[in-house]
Amino acid sequence: MTLNVLPVPVDRWRAACEDAAAQGARLRCLYAVEGERGPELRALLGLPDEERLLTASFAGAPVDSVLEVFPAVDWDEREAHDLYGIRFAGHEPLRALVEHPSQPDRWMTPVHGHGTHQVAVGPIHAGVIESGHFRFHVVGERILRLDLRLFYKHRGLQRAAEGRTLEDGIAYAQRACAACAVASSVAYAQAAEAVLGLAPNAALRRARTLLCELERLYNHLNDLSAICAGIGFAPGAMAFAALKERAQRLNARLSGHRFLFDTVTIAASPPQLDERAAHADRDEVRALRAAAAAGWRELLFAASVQDRLAGVGVLTADDAIALGAVGPVARAAGVRRDARAEGDPRLWYGALAPTQPVTASGDVAARAELRAVELEQTCEIIDDLLARPPERPDTRPAGRPQPIGIGRVESPRGETVCVIEASGRTLRRLHLRTGSYANWPVLAHVVPGNLLPDFPLINKSFELCYACADR
Amino acid sequence: MFVLLHRLQRLRRELDLPAPARAGSLALRHVDAGSCNGCEHELTATASPVYDLQRFGLNVVASPRHADVLLVTGAVTTRMAGPLLAAYEAMPEPRLVAALGDCALGCNVLADPGELAGPLDAILPVDLRIPGCPPTPAQIADTLTGALDLLTSHRSYTLRRGSESP
Repeated sequence: MTLNVLPVPVDRWRAACEDAAAQGARLRCLYAVEGERGPELRALLGLPDEERLLTASFAGAPVDSVLEVFPAVDWDEREAHDLYGIRFAGHEPLRALVEHPSQPDRWMTPVHGHGTHQVAVGPIHAGVIESGHFRFHVVGERILRLDLRLFYKHRGLQRAAEGRTLEDGIAYAQRACAACAVASSVAYAQAAEAVLGLAPNAALRRARTLLCELERLYNHLNDLSAICAGIGFAPGAMAFAALKERAQRLNARLSGHRFLFDTVTIAASPPQLDERAAHADRDEVRALRAAAAAGWRELLFAASVQDRLAGVGVLTADDAIALGAVGPVARAAGVRRDARAEGDPRLWYGALAPTQPVTASGDVAARAELRAVELEQTCEIIDDLLARPPERPDTRPAGRPQPIGIGRVESPRGETVCVIEASGRTLRRLHLRTGSYANWPVLAHVVPGNLLPDFPLINKSFELCYACADR
Repeated sequence: MFVLLHRLQRLRRELDLPAPARAGSLALRHVDAGSCNGCEHELTATASPVYDLQRFGLNVVASPRHADVLLVTGAVTTRMAGPLLAAYEAMPEPRLVAALGDCALGCNVLADPGELAGPLDAILPVDLRIPGCPPTPAQIADTLTGALDLLTSHRSYTLRRGSESP
């Protein structure tokens, strides 16, 4: 896929976005950078036959918001405003996202009426959960509106990575989130290798694909456990937690780390798998697959479990498309969107088709089922890749070095996009938009109308990370 | 459901976890002060059937008001410093602070320094240190059960001394 960088005058910003949208573009990300003469704006748009990066210099006047063109851009524009001071005309009200102002009306939706009240949750939660604040506006138990206040964990990772070498920068992408470490690192590596004019050989593509699927395996098992925990169904939560532990031990045996840390490097081969260990672990993957399928069957036959999952937290396919939902959340709503199925020549997915639940009802039940179905597919890919004889992963020259590179990987939570701007081997700007970042606003959209006690369940069925949204 | 319970029972038989030869218990409250989510995953795993820390009387409790130990993960961000202090101040004495993971210990922290409130031990007195990126559930379990042993022996020691004094 070719990347075309297209500078546009600031007053043509919206028109350029509309042109792309008319050609069928999807928003991949919008972000700001600190240019030589003030902040600059970037928008990466995925068109049917090209990736287009619009760039605009910003002279202090407001830029036209593209919220109406791409509703998924809501958080991106608010983040660019909070971090770089860019004002977006037409994005009203432009509520604070990264900033935490004390005045309620600067970050919260005003909700008035008979019997309405607020329920504040977080940033510290009752269980072992990441930090973030939820403000529910409710009448009785019924949720009218949810305002998210995340970015409590904002560590400024993207800014901290600026000025590092391309090789060192990958640690910042990886550390954004442990549960998506491989997806973020591979996306970074793809972007960095595009900058250096390198492409992975077949062996490296297979090695990275294997790592991505190992990450999906333990995450999906974790998510099924979390969904059971969300309704207080301890036998299911514990059974899938035990399977997740087995998957993480498998990771440790194959890569030396339970979260597969430091397995992706730029333009260098990852640690090679031991052939005999890989062979033994194929049996373990098959056993895990059988145990997960058996566990899922039990959940299907537990009537009280099914009754809690069905019809809760419904996302329609139209809303999923409009809001730019990604990953299992989108697929469970019937949107067959999966970056793995796009035949990326930098990974090894072949003719993979996006999974779909039997009924893509977009509720918690569909999101749970989607993960159970996807686990089978993931185990199949892992088994296939482990069966191959040891290879020599490497990169080879492929074209001229570029100042900007992009990477795109389907993480367990959805499409992760990484954009790198570099001069030589020095990283000038890193932007990471993970599946969680894309899906948090979708969660806030899905929750109203549901009961407050169902929120933990809906939240678990999305199972988004706070860390990789906050960065 | 009975199949699940049966499987869990079998898993426990196969694991043959040692019985908790300990008295006492510790109530734990976790605060994520800016982690990458790795420590949270591993801390959650300590409650899984494979480790089952609850058999030692080590429970994660919902409120700092109920807690003996504050388990802190992550480098402390500027936005989490306030909530972290509020949680600590809500805890009854005696209380312990555990730094869980390398970031909380101030090792190899990746972040914009301007977004951090400082290392945890500059903000709170750190009593327990659990290194690792992230520490494995086994390492977390070892440190916490060790602390439990230390505290129970210390408690009986002070009780004995208390009875000897006039």
